[in-house]
Amino acid sequence: MVGRTIVSVALAFGLAMAGAAAGAQDAPKTFTIGAHMPLTGSLARSGQAFTEGMQVAVKMCNAASPKFQVKVDLIDDESTPAKAVSAVEKLASDGAVAIIGGYGSNIIGPASDASDKLGKVYITAGAVSDELTKRGLKTFFRINNNAGYQRGIATLIGDLKPAKVSIIASTKEAPALLAEGLEKDLAAKGIAVTVHKFDPAITDFKPIINKIKLQDKPDIIMMSAYENDYVGIIRAAKVLKPNVKLIVGTWSLATPKMYTEFPDLMNNVVGTSFLPFPVEVKDEEGRKFSEIYKQSYNKEIEYLSTLSFVETMALCEAIVRSAEAGTLEKGGLAAEMRKTDRNSLLGRIQFDETGDNPNFALSMGQHRDGKIVLVSPKSAATGEIAYPALPW
Amino acid sequence: MTELILQALFSGVLIGSVYALVALGLALAFGAMRIINLAHGELVLLAAYMAYLVESRTGLDPYFAIPLALVVVAAASFVLFLLVDRIKDHRELNSLILTFAIGIILTNAILLVFASDVRTTASPFLQDAVSLGDLFAMRSEIIAFVLSLVLMGALWWWLKSSWYGRAVRAVSSNRGAAKLMGINPTRIETVSFLVAGALASFAGVALYTMSVVQPATGHALTVKAFIITVLAGVGSIPGVFLGAVLLGVTEALTVTLASSALQELAGMVLFLLVLFLMPNGLFGARARRG
Repeated sequence: MVGRTIVSVALAFGLAMAGAAAGAQDAPKTFTIGAHMPLTGSLARSGQAFTEGMQVAVKMCNAASPKFQVKVDLIDDESTPAKAVSAVEKLASDGAVAIIGGYGSNIIGPASDASDKLGKVYITAGAVSDELTKRGLKTFFRINNNAGYQRGIATLIGDLKPAKVSIIASTKEAPALLAEGLEKDLAAKGIAVTVHKFDPAITDFKPIINKIKLQDKPDIIMMSAYENDYVGIIRAAKVLKPNVKLIVGTWSLATPKMYTEFPDLMNNVVGTSFLPFPVEVKDEEGRKFSEIYKQSYNKEIEYLSTLSFVETMALCEAIVRSAEAGTLEKGGLAAEMRKTDRNSLLGRIQFDETGDNPNFALSMGQHRDGKIVLVSPKSAATGEIAYPALPW
Repeated sequence: MTELILQALFSGVLIGSVYALVALGLALAFGAMRIINLAHGELVLLAAYMAYLVESRTGLDPYFAIPLALVVVAAASFVLFLLVDRIKDHRELNSLILTFAIGIILTNAILLVFASDVRTTASPFLQDAVSLGDLFAMRSEIIAFVLSLVLMGALWWWLKSSWYGRAVRAVSSNRGAAKLMGINPTRIETVSFLVAGALASFAGVALYTMSVVQPATGHALTVKAFIITVLAGVGSIPGVFLGAVLLGVTEALTVTLASSALQELAGMVLFLLVLFLMPNGLFGARARRG
């Protein structure tokens, strides 16, 4: 009896060990991606949207890769460069194979420097400053850049042929840089441009709008700023009613969310965009992203979450490719990132020697009674631009 | 050019009146307890979010949120006072650290509850343009201006004529002597904090109707209120209004005559100039007793 029991226990143990070994052979290998996002502080809104897009991308990437899985280790950088740098160091020491950066060129700069020193690939969709790709870092990658935004806006304004444009630009790095580039672009097209830079702390834009109304007398007001500034600027314009034909802006403006929250301010306003609304996603990956995003967060995909989705997919696929080639743990991820060549909701994604995506270009969308119509460039347009047309 | 300058002066006075509304509560707590409440901006912000809550949930005008804001912000002020009152050593310095920490907690609580989106009123009535000849403003700015004047008058009257008001001034002037006169300083300081909370409630609702709010706005409000309190000089309620208007006008004229990028810098230069030339502020007492 005792002998039979011993044999049974030995058999059971043997089977369990064999099962465990087989399980270990079949279990997918999991790699950690580190991410620092501004979940609190002045950039929290961007950080939340970025995090949502990133989480959906991880889900989709894992579903497509049975052999290798990724998980995200997320740290709140509190919208500050110092916290972002320490987040990168912590994530790297915890074994992250690559880092996804948060938002703001002033934060991404030092954070990606730290990542480079640690030999970790760093990707971002939240920093457009030209300086970032001039540092010669071999581990830095980004999917969007100032040139893409500039091209989109300059094409639209150039096609409308205004005599004068007034640019209202925040002194923050990215909007200031965009304004400088646009001033040169538009001047080269023979358009008179006046730039009004403002401190990000200001809330009353009436003195600026009044100067534009009485001194500049432009055809178009162009805003290189952020959501809270757009609301203040358009409100001030609605009060003072300068004799302009169109109001144009940049990121996070031509979104359904802006229309839902500020319907009386947004109609006919134009901003950078990549999709019309109601959302019409043509490719399979975009449709899937849109579906999972809606299930997870009960809302339509939007600009920032899509940027984050695309960068995370590009990184995740490179990790899987590198793991399959056996180069991931030997520093081969950066080389694998450079081999990226894929289509996405933002167009074709490739990385040049500096880590920049040379194909990045955005369309321009116009708010039209709750819908967003793509109005420029002509190749991507889903409708004609309403011009002259104002929110009031 | 005249039209530009007149509009800048008009806009400066209007924005200054809102600055005054934000600064009044801070000035009161500072005057009564010598405590710089670094969470004051967050209390104003809390009231602004109450206005958002009422408007978005009920569709009512944001000004209907004032009773709710009064209750919530007064409760928060009371808790804040209880915590500050527990500090026995180096109260002025330690209360700075404590109120700064409470400000961070409040900001993050607001972020958790209301998310990080930009919020402002959707009321077309409040956003409509009002013109006085060639001068333009939003209706909400005119309402905030009137509200600011009324509250300033009410606070001035309360401090000058009511028993509690006089007691606040007595405790502010000499805590020990006030105690000898039968005044309970803790009770008076509680009342000061509650009144400061009430003022923050009005300021927050007014701010929501004429500007945009985000969870990160609170800190900037505290800084602005602190500058005005120092500009005005401790203990001067009319000084708070005049200091705030001076700051608003300086900022607006800087935009008009120089560059909008220099607006905040001009405010800080004014602040430093006043500190350098008149260390007691524009309207502060030259020497304090007690």
